[in-house]
Formats: sequence, C-alpha cells, structure tokens
Amino acid sequence: MEFRNELVKICEQYPEFKFNFHHRNWETDFLRFYQSQINYNISKTSVSLSTTMYKGKKSYSFSLKNPAKAKLLEKIEEVKMIIDKLPEDPDFIDLEDDLTKSKEKEKINNIEKVSLDKKIDILQKITEAIEPFDFKIYGTFICNYRTLYIINSNGLNKREICSPIFLEVKAVSNKNEVTVLEAYGGENFNTFDVERFTKDLAAKVEAATGEIVDVEPGEYEVVLAPRCIGDYLMYLESSMTARSLDTKQSFFEGKVGQKIFPENITLTDDPEHPDLINFDYNHDGHIYKKLPIIEKGVFKNFMVDNYYGRKLKMKKNGAEGSGLVMETGNKTREELIGSIKRGLYISSLHYMNFINRKETSVTGLTRDGTFLIENGKLTKAVNNLRFTEKISDVINGITDIENQSYTIPSSSNYGEFEIYSAKMPHVKVKGFKISSSTRTV
Amino acid sequence: MKKLVYDIINKLDIPEVTYADVRFTNTDDQVIYFEKGKLRHFGSDYDSIDLGVRVLVNGCWGFAGTTIFNNTSIEKTIKKAISNAKVGSKFRKEPATFKKLKPIKDSYFFKPKEDPFLMDDKFKIDFHEKIAQKLVGNKKIVYSYVYTVLYRQYKVYANTEGTFVDSMVYDTMPMMYVLASDGKETMCRTWPGHMNGRRGGFEVVRNVKMEENADKIIEEAIKLLDAPRIEEERADIIIGGGHLALQLHESAGHATEADRIYGKEISYAGKTFIKPAMLGNFKYGSEIVNIFSDSTNEGGMGFHLVDDEGTPGANVDIVKNGILLDQQTSQETAALLGVQPSSNMLASFADDIPLIRMTNFCLAPGKGSLDNLIKSTENGYYIDFTKTWSIDDNRNNFQFTTEIGWKIENGKIKHIVKEPTYYGITPEFWGACNGICGQEEWEFHGTFHCGKGEPGQAIHLSHGVAPARFKNIVCNVKA
Repeated sequence: MEFRNELVKICEQYPEFKFNFHHRNWETDFLRFYQSQINYNISKTSVSLSTTMYKGKKSYSFSLKNPAKAKLLEKIEEVKMIIDKLPEDPDFIDLEDDLTKSKEKEKINNIEKVSLDKKIDILQKITEAIEPFDFKIYGTFICNYRTLYIINSNGLNKREICSPIFLEVKAVSNKNEVTVLEAYGGENFNTFDVERFTKDLAAKVEAATGEIVDVEPGEYEVVLAPRCIGDYLMYLESSMTARSLDTKQSFFEGKVGQKIFPENITLTDDPEHPDLINFDYNHDGHIYKKLPIIEKGVFKNFMVDNYYGRKLKMKKNGAEGSGLVMETGNKTREELIGSIKRGLYISSLHYMNFINRKETSVTGLTRDGTFLIENGKLTKAVNNLRFTEKISDVINGITDIENQSYTIPSSSNYGEFEIYSAKMPHVKVKGFKISSSTRTV
Repeated sequence: MKKLVYDIINKLDIPEVTYADVRFTNTDDQVIYFEKGKLRHFGSDYDSIDLGVRVLVNGCWGFAGTTIFNNTSIEKTIKKAISNAKVGSKFRKEPATFKKLKPIKDSYFFKPKEDPFLMDDKFKIDFHEKIAQKLVGNKKIVYSYVYTVLYRQYKVYANTEGTFVDSMVYDTMPMMYVLASDGKETMCRTWPGHMNGRRGGFEVVRNVKMEENADKIIEEAIKLLDAPRIEEERADIIIGGGHLALQLHESAGHATEADRIYGKEISYAGKTFIKPAMLGNFKYGSEIVNIFSDSTNEGGMGFHLVDDEGTPGANVDIVKNGILLDQQTSQETAALLGVQPSSNMLASFADDIPLIRMTNFCLAPGKGSLDNLIKSTENGYYIDFTKTWSIDDNRNNFQFTTEIGWKIENGKIKHIVKEPTYYGITPEFWGACNGICGQEEWEFHGTFHCGKGEPGQAIHLSHGVAPARFKNIVCNVKA
C-alpha cells in the first residue's frame, strides 16, 4: 500500500512526464505429480514493477524486480537522459483515462486455503479411484495469489486481486499410455466437488480401457468436448482485437454487423461470470465488463484497448477475452453422440498453430482421449489425429450444441502463470477434416 | 552474490537434506521494436535478480524461488523448499536417487565482440530505424516490424557435493517481418527466420544483415501473393538451415528428452514415442543421420561448464549412423536408463526448477555444398523460413509450413511456391534423409523461446545444422 502511494506521488512529482505503472505481488504453490506420486512441490514469490515513461509521444519502458523508491527514482533519472533522443510514436495519443472502478473485492488467498496436505489428500483419493483400471495420474495442482496495482498519470489508481486454483489430472494407462483428462478451475474452492471430479475422471478412464484403433484421413462428424471449442474460440479471439485490424490479420475485418456464423452461435466475453475466474480491469486499467462478441451468428464487437482504440478511432471497451462464454443449445451430450452413426468424440486439442491467421487456417492434433463413435455410442479409443482446418469452417460446421456448459480452465503458462477460464458446451460439428494419424495415443 | 549462495548452500548441508543446489541469476535485457516504421517499444529489464533453492528430502524434491532479497525472505525460501519436499514425500512412492558427481569449481565469462549494454542507445535505435524505414513505403506491404532482443545473464551455481561455478553469457536475437496483401490474401516473409537467436553481442545484429535483405523479403512477400502452391502429392524436399533447425528441434530434440519417457512432462509438454528398450537398436534415421547434444561448444547458446545440477558440459551421441544411442538426461533419469548424465538440466532463471532441456542439439554435417545438393535433385523443392509448426504429444506426427519454397527441376531452381506444407512421421522422415550438406554449410541457428515445463520456462538453445534433403515426402496438405 505504501509503495502504491509512492507511485501516485511520482506521477505528481514529474509533471513533464506521464507514467504508467503495473506493480505486481505474485506467489504460487505449484504441485507437479507423475506416476501417481509427487514430482516437485514448487513455491515462488515475486514482486515487480513495470513502468512506461512518456514525454509527449516518446516513451521508454523498464521493469524492476523487488522495487524500492530509491531504485525507481534512480531509473527515472536515467530515462530522463535518454528519452529526448528517441523517435516519436506518432500514433500514441494518451494513456488510459477510464477512471471507472470495480468493487475491488478482497479475495481469499487460496494458497493458504488449499494447503499442500489438502492437495495430497485429494490426489490420493483420485489415485485410489483409477488404480483398479491400471491407470496412474499425472498433472498439476496450482494455487496462485496475485495483487496488481495499475497506476498512471491520468489519475488511474486501481487494484485487482486474483487467486485462481487450477487442477489438471491426466489418467494414463500403464498398459498402452492411452490418456484421459479432467480439470477444475475457479477461485472458490467450495465449488470443487472431489467426489464428482473423481467420478467423471473414472468414467473417462473406463471408456478408454478398450481397444485402440486408427482411422483414415477424411471428413468426420465429430463431437467436440467443451475445451476443444473453447480452444478454437480462444485462437479466433486474436482476430477479434483492434490490434489485429491494425496488423491486417483479422478475419473479422469489415464484418461488424454481418452474419458470419450459424444462428445458434452466440459468444460473450464475461469477466464477471460467477463460474469463471474474474477480472476487474484490462491490461490498461480500463474497467472490464461483459461484451457481446457474436450474437446469433452476427459479429458484434471487436475488443478494443487504449492504444489501438485511439489509433484506429474505435471506442475503447476494455474487453480482452479472458472470460469467453458460449451460449448453450438444446441437446444433451448423449443426444449429440447418439445422433452420430460413425464419427469421433474429441476430448482435447494439442499444439495448434495458424497456417494463415487472416484465413483462420490452422493445424493441430487431438490429445487426451479421442474416441470412435459407432451407432451413437463411444466404442473404441482412437490414436491421436491431426486436423488441418479453417476455424471459421469448424464454427460454420456446428449443427448442434449441448444444453449445459462447463468451466474450462487454461493457463498462459509462462511468466506469472496467469490462469483463465471459459464456459463452453459440447458441440456437434459436420465435415471436420482429419488430415493424418499420429499412430500413437 | 557468490557469498550469499555460498552461505545458503552451507546452511543446507544438514543430515535431513540428501542433496541441495542453490542458484542465483542476474539477467539484463533490452528490446528495440519498430512497427510500421515507428518505434513502438524501447525498454529494458536490468538487474533482474532471482534466487532458487532445490532440495531432496526423503527422496522427494522441494523447490522455492524468490525475487525478494532480504534476510526474512531468504530464510523463508530455504524453509519452504525443505517443507515442500518433506510434505511431498508423503505422496512419493519411489525415491529419487542418483550418483554423486565430482565437484567442480570454475568460472566462465563470455566476451562479446560488441557489448550491447555498453553501446549508446541512440546508435542502436538509429540502426534499427534505418531498417524499419526500408520495410515501409511499398503499398502492398501492409504491416512490418523489426526488433532485436539483447540479453545477458550472470549465474552462480552451487550444490552440496561441492560444485561452485559462476558464469556470464550474452545472447542476441534480431528479426524483421513483412506482410504483403493484395486485398484478397496475405503472405509474409521474415529474416533471418524464426531460429534467429545467437550467442554473442551486437555483432549478431550486424552479421544477419537485415538492412541488406530488406528489399529481398519485400519482393518475395509480394511475389508469393501470385505464386502457385505445390501440386504434387509427394516430392523430394531440401530443407534450408533455418527451418531444418526447427525440424530437428521438434522431431528429434524434444523426442529424446528422457523426462518425457517417464511421464514427467505429460501434463503440458507431452510424452515421447521413445521407450528405454529402443536405446542401441532403434532405427531413427538413415545411415547418414548423426545427431548429438553438445554443451561443450562455445559457439552455441547451449554452452556451459556445468548444467543446473552440476553435471559437467558434455558432447553425447544421440543418434549414430541412424541408430538411436542415448537420450538427453538429468542425473535422475540417467540413473533410471543406466547411462551417464548428459548435462542437459537447465532452468531459465534461478527461481525456476531445472528441466531436461536441449543445449546445442545438432545434426552432424555430411558432404558438399547446397548448390551441389540442388544440382543433384531431379525434381523437388527447396524450402525454408518457418511459418507454422505443430507436432503431436508423442513427437511422432509433425506438420510444418514454410513461408516460401522454390521448385527444383533437373537440378535447377525454377520458381517460388507459397506456403509449402509437409507432414511426416518422425523415424520415417529421418529415414528418408538422403543428403546432408557439408561443414561449409553447417552453422548454428537458435531461439530464445523453447517452451517447456510447468510453471513454463522459455530457454535459449542452439541447433547446428546444414541443409539436408528428404526423399518422397507428403507435401500437399491444405486447410
């Protein structure tokens, strides 16, 4: 708190400059497990300050770890010597000026709430449930606690606390390495039901104990698990930003108000959704509220931040896709699977990468449980498969959507291991293009 | 900080701790980034200090890292590492074990030809602005950038076996990119490509000659808009060094990391199709394929005196005459496989745990020039500059797209093709290798961005390669 006040004072102390400060306190307790035992217990703490200092349209950025006032002032003096020599960025207009504050709720530190002993108890229960199938568990059980202060010379002085929990368990067969996955993510550990989690994982394990087959490349009717459609939409999200318009790589360029997907597709970005990990502000400190992205197949809004909003003369909205929610349909999961004569159930995607971002063409693989559907039932595990597809074709191929959705956690993995979530249902897709088999599970 | 590390390792020399190591890193970096001809970002992260304490107690690893360097925080970090291991051992059935190593006490300080951290900032900005200006102006170039990341890291490593080593290295990563559009589609070109990291200082930026190659990539990006795609289902392909480095990285480098065999990275990075029984007999490639992991070569970013668990730098044959011989290992996985540790345990920063990482992972040179390899190719494609990469969980099925390719007919380059996309199965692909250029074409390529582990780490590594030819490859995959 004291340092936060110092940052505000510095903004006032140097009126010839503008400052943008991000001050982070971050800690993690990160449990890695493999072969139904601990691999590592990792604890990390970090305090850092990211600063961008502006003089007109000239700027210089620097970061300090474990920052103190004296060190910061010393650095500011150094920047004063450099900044006049730098070329301008004529597209820079001003820093964020949205002063709207969220409730800035206090949050429980889940590192304290979910102790290492508690994590081990949960993992032991899960292990016992799947051992009879000759499977072992692998994965991570993570709790973070992060406090972020965003302070700038336009009067922003905001705080955001985040304390996500992320449990990802892969059950792997000792016999043939066939793998299935179950995950939990959220900020309220009271919503974690170990019995249900274990039961759901065990059901997947049971489905994966049979024969493993291969399938030929070609077009298939598929049911995509929630995390798969979530992955596709998160990849497509990079095309929904104002920045992607500026870099000429947006699939949605010139398509606002146009119907580009089927009527059953509605997508919102909702950082306050009760089932998701919540965020108060975007990276500029702009208030982050619910925003419709696609409504009944019509593309409604780009996500617009401060820099590109001003540059492209678009209205800033603070959205950044950290809480995507897809509207549910009217079929049960069983009905989606039951309506397919011969097709595939895909649990998870892996190593997806754009071939051409503007065209939304990607290649990637299935992972952690791909199953053959025969006469409306999951019958056999299938080797992991490669798809080469346009994401726009996948979404246009959605024929039915499940009547309930699930919280899907994901992580940025690098740096401070930010954890996000999305709320997605199962979807049925026609004409899904499998381009080759990996011949492995 | 050497004293701090020394003091901590002494505190950990207690009976309940079977083994411990302590690392300190101080990292400086600077980024210069021009977008569409304008300076979009200039910044630095100096004196970024991290501390990491790793202990083995009751056969279980515990780790704690911090960026806070006061006495309270340091004591807390030590205690946390020990308690993490102790509590964790309740859920550890097979204790981690390995052999004790001979202690090493040494220092290594790399000297760049041009220390970028002693150079005038204005000079570096002007240097890049000149290149940035060359990338704009053509109406068909709708987006461009040029950047360089300058980096140096000082590290102190100590363990309870008596090893104490400090080192300083410099790495540099320059890159430029143009995107061309005709209003219907977009095509890009980069220089020097995505494997653009090198050991060295500002001399690396000069050596890649970005300014001299700006017109060339603009012209190629625009030509690609009207270029044909590959029509044949299969063809012989010659892969240029920049992209071959990534092919080697994904389909041999990651595949031969021993932690994947034991499932330690299943959760995120994945597994491998390799099993312990394959060592010494599995045909990984054709007879001309020789692959080695060499942390003793100072020319690459993977050089070190000792890795992050005290194993001295080593040159290890991974594939010899096409046969899989060894793995990249830690002390623990080497013991499980019954081989010598290969000195591949590394962490990005001191507050990261060490993982099995590639160092200088190389394809040995064959014979002859690239010109001669092209001349000896009746029909095929020469492809380079990575655009898309993807490989499966077991490192068996890969698919790559490069930015550009050149059709070869009767030993001569004919015309360019857009987005050549090929796929293969790892041992079949390396088994189809029928030509590798010689030492005169062999050079280091590298990246700062090899991601692995949870929490994720991006590490600097190099690949020594020369262009190589692969026979009858599926090269016509379309979305």
